[in-house]
Amino acid sequence: MTATRRQPGASRSLTGLAAALLPEEREAPEDPAARQADGSWHARVPARLESVVASMPLPARIGIRAAAAALDGYAVVRTGRRLAALPAPERESVLGSLGARPALLPLLDVVKVPVLLAAGTERMVQQGLPAPALLRQDPPLDCTPSDEWPACSTADAVVIGSGAGGATAARTLARAGLRVVVLEEGRHHSTASFGRRAPLDRFAELYRDGGATVALGNPPLLLPTGRAVGGTTVVNSGTCYRTPDHVLARWAREFGFAPAARLGPYLDDAERTLRVARQPLDVLGSNGRIALAGAERLGWQAAPLRRNAPGCMGSCQCVVGCPTGAKQSVQLSVLPAACAAGARIVTGARVLRILVDPDRPGGARAVGVRVAREGGGTLEILAPLVVVAAGALQTPPLLRRSGLGGHPRLGRNLSVHPATSVAGRFAEPVTAWEGVLQSVGVEELHSQGVLIEATATPPGMGSFVLPGTGRELRTELDDAHSLATLGAMIADLPSGRVLGRDRVLVRYDLARRDADRLVAAVRAMGRLLLAAGAQEVLTGIPRAPRVRTLAELDDVLGRVSARQLHLSAYHPTGTAAAGADPERFPADPAGRLRGVHGVLIADASVLPGCPEVNPQLSIMAAAHAVADLRLGR
Amino acid sequence: MTAAGRSGRGSTRGTAFRESMLGTVRLDGEDHTRRVRLDLHVTADRVLRPLGTTEAQAQGRVRIAGWANDPGAAGELEISPLARHRIRYRITFTADGRRLALDGWKSVTPRRPLASMTRLPFTLYEDGVRAGEGALRFPLASGLAPFLASFRFPRNEGGPDTFAPPRWSGSPGRTEVWYTTATDPATGTGLWLHHELVAPTDGSAPYAHGWAAVFPTCGPVTHARFGPAAWERPQDGFAAAGVAARPGRLTGSAGDLRWDLAEQPAGAPLFTFPRWSWRRPLLPAAQMLPAARADYSGTVSYGTTTLALDGVPGATARIFGHGNAHRWAWLHADLGDEVLEVVAAVSTRPVLRRLPPLVFLRLRRRDGSTWPRRAERTAVGWAGLGRFRCAIGLPTWTVTGRAGLRRIRVEVTQPADRTLALEYTDPDGARATCRNTERADAQVVLERWWGRWRPERRWTLDGTAHAEVGTR
Repeated sequence: MTATRRQPGASRSLTGLAAALLPEEREAPEDPAARQADGSWHARVPARLESVVASMPLPARIGIRAAAAALDGYAVVRTGRRLAALPAPERESVLGSLGARPALLPLLDVVKVPVLLAAGTERMVQQGLPAPALLRQDPPLDCTPSDEWPACSTADAVVIGSGAGGATAARTLARAGLRVVVLEEGRHHSTASFGRRAPLDRFAELYRDGGATVALGNPPLLLPTGRAVGGTTVVNSGTCYRTPDHVLARWAREFGFAPAARLGPYLDDAERTLRVARQPLDVLGSNGRIALAGAERLGWQAAPLRRNAPGCMGSCQCVVGCPTGAKQSVQLSVLPAACAAGARIVTGARVLRILVDPDRPGGARAVGVRVAREGGGTLEILAPLVVVAAGALQTPPLLRRSGLGGHPRLGRNLSVHPATSVAGRFAEPVTAWEGVLQSVGVEELHSQGVLIEATATPPGMGSFVLPGTGRELRTELDDAHSLATLGAMIADLPSGRVLGRDRVLVRYDLARRDADRLVAAVRAMGRLLLAAGAQEVLTGIPRAPRVRTLAELDDVLGRVSARQLHLSAYHPTGTAAAGADPERFPADPAGRLRGVHGVLIADASVLPGCPEVNPQLSIMAAAHAVADLRLGR
Repeated sequence: MTAAGRSGRGSTRGTAFRESMLGTVRLDGEDHTRRVRLDLHVTADRVLRPLGTTEAQAQGRVRIAGWANDPGAAGELEISPLARHRIRYRITFTADGRRLALDGWKSVTPRRPLASMTRLPFTLYEDGVRAGEGALRFPLASGLAPFLASFRFPRNEGGPDTFAPPRWSGSPGRTEVWYTTATDPATGTGLWLHHELVAPTDGSAPYAHGWAAVFPTCGPVTHARFGPAAWERPQDGFAAAGVAARPGRLTGSAGDLRWDLAEQPAGAPLFTFPRWSWRRPLLPAAQMLPAARADYSGTVSYGTTTLALDGVPGATARIFGHGNAHRWAWLHADLGDEVLEVVAAVSTRPVLRRLPPLVFLRLRRRDGSTWPRRAERTAVGWAGLGRFRCAIGLPTWTVTGRAGLRRIRVEVTQPADRTLALEYTDPDGARATCRNTERADAQVVLERWWGRWRPERRWTLDGTAHAEVGTR
């Protein structure tokens, strides 16, 4: 056994970390050239890990490096040598001694995530990327990089953000004859470009902070959001739920959100635009079928999800951009229509601030935006209407740095759909990543605020973290094809807030009720998997990673709280909510920001409460309604 | 300026300055940049508000190397360096037969005040479609001093309409006059329309009256009076006894004289007396011209003759005060490109009537400036020293004076056969006789000191000067 060689481009401590968490199966050849020739995916993990870490935001980067350095330091103290220099058995024992301390297990799980991501990617590359067939050519978009956009220009409306809300608002305004400019911080990625590149390479570009956006709190939540032309719709799972009637009724009755009462036709329009249909069974994949079988055995209500992916080929890459173009993200459906109506998209354009004229007759008025160009420098666009659709996490800081953050409730009222996932091991191969990524919805517990969705990702890319370290983890990774994964998200109380002006800081404290819901969700998912025939259930709980029976699961869940689960969160909403009460809602019932003329909120932040389902349709319908109200319709 | 005029605009002074900027532009479809120069004369109808926003008009020249050189560029500026952090320029010009719009703004930031105040990125548009992009820079080293020196805060005089409404507010012992004189260059005929409101000192009802007179080259002076008639307090000018003198229009008849004239003002107001004396009637009387020059078109008929006037030169003047002077002389001389207005008067007040005539002489120059700059200069000089002098007499009277490096001599001759003698009645019932002609001769000599007095301009008016001498 020899020490692990450092790969070019990878730091010594990260190399050590990767080697310790995921040891090689057998002794590698001494000669580096031979190692390369060996083609072992494992050898490339440190370099890949380095690039994963490099794409993360500074705090996460520092955290991972510090953790790796601490691990290395521990190894030095214990053995006199750094991890990378240790033979595999000694590394295993170092890690084992750490794993024996329960308090350190969650920390180890955190550093495992990027390592698994890197390993999963390299394994996939090694196995050969399936060449996806392009279903259809992308419809044309009028995109201009910000560096080529003039420094001074004018428009009738500026839309900040090209996600579900921004795209829909842009299309509505452009069709009404307005000269619309859509500003997008990310870049435009064509479907063909998705097919050409490995999933992880897309990951860093398509997600804000390399997907490592974290909501601070106890427990902290991973809160990934997209950043590209099309926003998060490029990287969501394509699941399209209509806003439930009871949610709409609550928005209208309790909050006085004007569009809620007439959202039906807008939801219809959004469904037509996205060609939403129930996912056919042919490409559903084993993961979905297992969920359906389990639900059937339990007599639970479950069905393939309604999705915006006509002709989906089950590439299972929704979360890094559909490589076949089946998923009708807004850059393939809504934005082309907006561009056809004259809207123009500026990419690589981060809005620094909304320009406000404080001395206009009748009060302060937004008159345009100042934008940071990708290549340095700024540009300004003057427009009498500014539509803010930067997403629930970015809209409040943008308003604050524009001097429009005066409302005390701006940034508060954050709902995020906390989610957790559970895997089940089956005797026969599942190969969950062959099929639809999010395939089946189990709505049995939806009335209790729990929505279970069979969600499988390529190994390492999902929110489920395989248990163990060292050889155990390696075995789990090699055995990943026998795992079926379920995810559950819960309808939460608005327990979070978005802080910051220039940098976003998300704070989220899980409410006790929601913690109970999450535990109930884990139990329900375990029950479903066992009913479907799972040999064991991987709970994702570091102290009790595997259970074999429902009784064991109940026993484990009786001893843990939601804080010990692996939590992630999706669908942030409500941070610039619209409603009737001027003291509670930063925006008026028609989505106009209070305290200034000429600012519309048209993204997830305008929703006054948790939509309780995947929110793309709700956001699109709300944005459409808000834009229509502005046009006096 | 009237109170109404002031409140209507909110600012009594405007702003004017010149700004030049240099830079480059890249036209769409070209692979190279062109040099640009923008020279603007910016005017605003209010004093620049550093903390607020000022809308201003701009005129000037746009030069783009090898493509455009348009001296008729025009547009507007939005000057708001602190409130909106923006100074926006929107200028339209013609280049190569194409109509283009330059739209750009300086984005003022306190972090980089100098750079942000001097750099103007802009986009060119043709019919709303982008045609190019560039940036201009204000050259601080060479441009700052001329830029700062060019700042002016001219008074907002308002249009001639501002001065047409009656000033009289009901006090007894006031007289107010609207009078118009013009010369038809085609026939040499002079025209005088005099509209007068008198509020007697004894408090009896005010009355309106007046007269019209025609001074033909061949034939005697014809005149006819109208009124007296009750004063109906019109809002926009003089109107009584079927005669009206309203902004832009003079109509009426007196005896066999009829007139219907359109008035087209040309030039800024000219205050013969100090401006303050018109705003605050502290002097016994004050005279001013709503427009230094006006053109008249329409018809005037007297007897069997009808004159068709088409843009003939003249002027309307306004007088408001307590009555006529003890002695006076008046001249309005249209010198072609310049206008000379002279009033020399001796007050009726007990002590003042012993003084020599106070001379108010105003020469409106081609560039719109007035010489001497202050009206008080010609009347009182420096505590009496250096004041202008007037020898009132008939048929010839003269005015001489020096201000700064210039001196002027005006000699007016009013031949008796071209002169009309009329009797004025003051509000207190006193009478005065005026001898007026709109066909006076005048010699005006302007000299400039340059080692010695050298002639600068000399005008000879042969029967086209308007003059009057009043005595008691």
